[in-house]
Amino acid sequence: MQMAFYFDQSRCIGCYACSVACKDWNNIEAGPAQWRRVTAQERGAYPEVYLTYVSLSCSHCARPACADACPVNAIIKNGNNGVMAVNQEECLGYDACGACKKACPYAMPQFGSEENAKMQMCTFCNDRLKENRKPACVDACPVRALDAGPMEELQATYGKVTEVSGFTYSNATKPSILFKPRYKQNPSPQSRTPNPDKPEPKLTAKTKKETKKIEFGTQELTKVKTKIS
Amino acid sequence: MPDEKTVITTCTHDCGGRCLLKAHVKDGIITRIETDDGEEPQLRACARGRAYRQRIYSPERLKYPMKRTGERGEGKFERISWAEALDTVAGELKRIKNTYGNPAIFHVSYSGNTGTMLHSQLAVVRLLTMFGGFTPTWGSASFWGNLFASEMTYGTLTTGTTRDDLPNARLIIMWGWNPAESIQITTTSYFMTLAKEAGVKVVAIDPRFTDSAAAFASQWIPIRPGTDTAMLIAMAYVMIKENLQDQKFLDTYTIGFDQFKDYVMGKSDGVLKTPAWAADITGVPAGTIEQLAREYALTKPSKLLTLGAPGRTAFGEQFHRAAATLAAMTGNIGIYGGESAGFGLAPVGLQPLASAALLHGGKPGNLPEGTTPKKGVHITKVWDAILNGTKGGYPADFKMVYTTNGNPVNQFMNSNKAVRALKSLEFVVVHEQFMTPTARYADILLPVNTFFERNDIVRPWHAAPYYIYANKVIDSLYESKSDFDICAELAPRLGIEGYSDKTEDEWLRLAWKSAEHFTLTKPLAGYDELKQKGVQKISLKQPAVAFKEQVEDFKNHPFPTPSGKIEIYSQRLADMNNPKLTPMPTYIEPWEGTRDALAQKYPLQLISTHYKRRIHSQMDNIPWMRELEPQTVWISSADARQRSIQHGDLVKIFNDRGTVVLPAKVTERIMPGVVSIDQGAWFNPDKQGVDRGGCVNVLLKDEHSPAGAFCSNTSLVQIEKV
Repeated sequence: MQMAFYFDQSRCIGCYACSVACKDWNNIEAGPAQWRRVTAQERGAYPEVYLTYVSLSCSHCARPACADACPVNAIIKNGNNGVMAVNQEECLGYDACGACKKACPYAMPQFGSEENAKMQMCTFCNDRLKENRKPACVDACPVRALDAGPMEELQATYGKVTEVSGFTYSNATKPSILFKPRYKQNPSPQSRTPNPDKPEPKLTAKTKKETKKIEFGTQELTKVKTKIS
Repeated sequence: MPDEKTVITTCTHDCGGRCLLKAHVKDGIITRIETDDGEEPQLRACARGRAYRQRIYSPERLKYPMKRTGERGEGKFERISWAEALDTVAGELKRIKNTYGNPAIFHVSYSGNTGTMLHSQLAVVRLLTMFGGFTPTWGSASFWGNLFASEMTYGTLTTGTTRDDLPNARLIIMWGWNPAESIQITTTSYFMTLAKEAGVKVVAIDPRFTDSAAAFASQWIPIRPGTDTAMLIAMAYVMIKENLQDQKFLDTYTIGFDQFKDYVMGKSDGVLKTPAWAADITGVPAGTIEQLAREYALTKPSKLLTLGAPGRTAFGEQFHRAAATLAAMTGNIGIYGGESAGFGLAPVGLQPLASAALLHGGKPGNLPEGTTPKKGVHITKVWDAILNGTKGGYPADFKMVYTTNGNPVNQFMNSNKAVRALKSLEFVVVHEQFMTPTARYADILLPVNTFFERNDIVRPWHAAPYYIYANKVIDSLYESKSDFDICAELAPRLGIEGYSDKTEDEWLRLAWKSAEHFTLTKPLAGYDELKQKGVQKISLKQPAVAFKEQVEDFKNHPFPTPSGKIEIYSQRLADMNNPKLTPMPTYIEPWEGTRDALAQKYPLQLISTHYKRRIHSQMDNIPWMRELEPQTVWISSADARQRSIQHGDLVKIFNDRGTVVLPAKVTERIMPGVVSIDQGAWFNPDKQGVDRGGCVNVLLKDEHSPAGAFCSNTSLVQIEKV
């Protein structure tokens, strides 16, 4: 089994509740160690602008490049659930080594600000996992944009999208994360792709008519209105 | 963990939400803070609540009483005992009362704790009232234009719907509304998400492309600050011209539409309020105005959601009056999925305020006023009143300021004037948790505990259907005390008897009993049950919708206005006889707008926004919050290019009131001609008086609208590279 994350970018409001909840639960000081980080992508030109957030932690890759790169085998993948862990006593430290961070396509191995800091990263909240609870970030999200669980279960629920604005899938490492994008493809000023997952509103026959007519210009509009009344 | 317990509480700050916090405690120390995982709708906390452990245990907490040793404002203090501190405060209060009279005591507190039943600035109000009176402030930095307009139009503030009604709309217009950052009720972003996913079209009208616009809206309409009323009136023009208004609704439930129509169609002033007229004022293309007018008129039900920002302008009440008028013209009042665009309290029963316990003895009623003037000094005029006193037309010559639950140097306009004002006084006492820009000006500084260190009962913002018992989690840290305990110890020193004959628990029992005076859909839990459970959620079968009775059975349920109808034309306003407070919604050209002569010198409109990183100025000093995003000034790429400003450059933002230095956020997400600074960063002037902290109030004009709105989005500035 491989534990995995799901991130619904169409829902994320960029509030950082996930990353702060992570810091509180795992007792991480403010500073460079960000087990979960939220970043914004701004695109387009005024007034056709687009903003998306992406909230990412270690994706507990199926083929973790960090573990391969570690010269002292301090990074271990749990054989039962695929969750990554680091043995800090073995870790050589960032100043002396830092190979894991360079190897990870997402720079997810994290280091504190102290000298020759030992590697730290998302543990999938393994203390919560033991109690059958989801990671702190997932339970924090005010708009339920995050989820976590066995990969097969997440795929069955959310589909198999593996890329999103702000995250490129690495075929080499196979990150264990699924997504729902905010926009179907990169929006351009000419065409904003409507969200295909958004269901059509349930309308009555009468309101359907009304919806249709607002798509036309003034003259069309007046015509339709007259017809109804 | 066996030796660990969890305790339920909630943030009591003026943050726009009331979320459930679950504190893990081990050996008397809070180790973690979680949020709601119980019944839906869950009251999930934002980043601010989740970071609160760092605020409680901050090394910067004020630990013991202190007295000033250097010049006032220099920030030099020394530790003193509680006895010396309280004796000094009581001695100064008595001296000032005897020498100058009670009105010379100026109570300048604000909303650091709010929605609570016991702990708030009202502890000081009670004390000073029993001491014979004081001069209060009036107004609100948040919503006075909205409050005034709602009272004038609907005769009530209970005009809204519960948030579970959001998915029932077919169109939502977020007008100057950014709940992703300002929260605006704990569950708002969640229900906006559900609305979007149910196919509701969302339009955002805002000078900035906000997080909310990005997350919820499919259309962004940028607009010049302070001109929103012109766009609304032009939308009314389109509806009238094309006969799209709900005439039956207007005829049945409103008065004054014909007079408004005459104004819109130019009969009263010769100016047709066409989309082209508004386009010139607002910067919104005429076609966009026309299209939105049609869409709003013909898509039913629709919600026009307004709360504060466009009303925090020179004539902010006009915006809210115009928005309510459009809600009436489209017949979106009193129906599921609609919205009356008033103040927005949901009709789930008026919940008891802090005043329930402390001021009213557990019953609704009035505070005995002593010699307190009924209407004090508007919060925008506090500094001017201190500097000019009776010769400036203010109610007294002020000799001392008493501040708790507030950071007025930072959060009221014109911080440099605040410094001059506070330096002119005889005595300043501040209750605080941190060395804020206001605390620096205290003569006596008294350390206050946080809500984690005391009990309270808290009602949610904007009348959402639940209560939370804010349980005390740990004992008060260091020598800190609650405002209430400080005042209870001051009372005998001032010769006041009977300030409190009850324990905290007894006061709260009384306050909770007072909740029985208010109608709710389900019996309330007993006090002990509430305290133990921590939260009572009141399940509603249907969303609660204001004015449903009026619209369904108007004969027996008139609107609570003098005419019994929605007052598009208000006789009460006409009787005020103020040309700037017109009886019908009117666009009035603002001061410090783009057409002001001052725009030659200061061509950029400055807006002051809410930031996800802070609760106003609270938590600005908390490391977990500071690292999220930097304090910047937003400037459009077009305006930055003209000034050779690159993203990240240090720039100075200035006008005649002061100068602030900040890094520039050069972005496509703001309308050219507009710049924005998130309010609440701590004022930190250097030796030349240039603010290095990024406090927007250094730049804001200390003026209010005719009705009393706090005009924090009406100021002009210039920006240059440092």
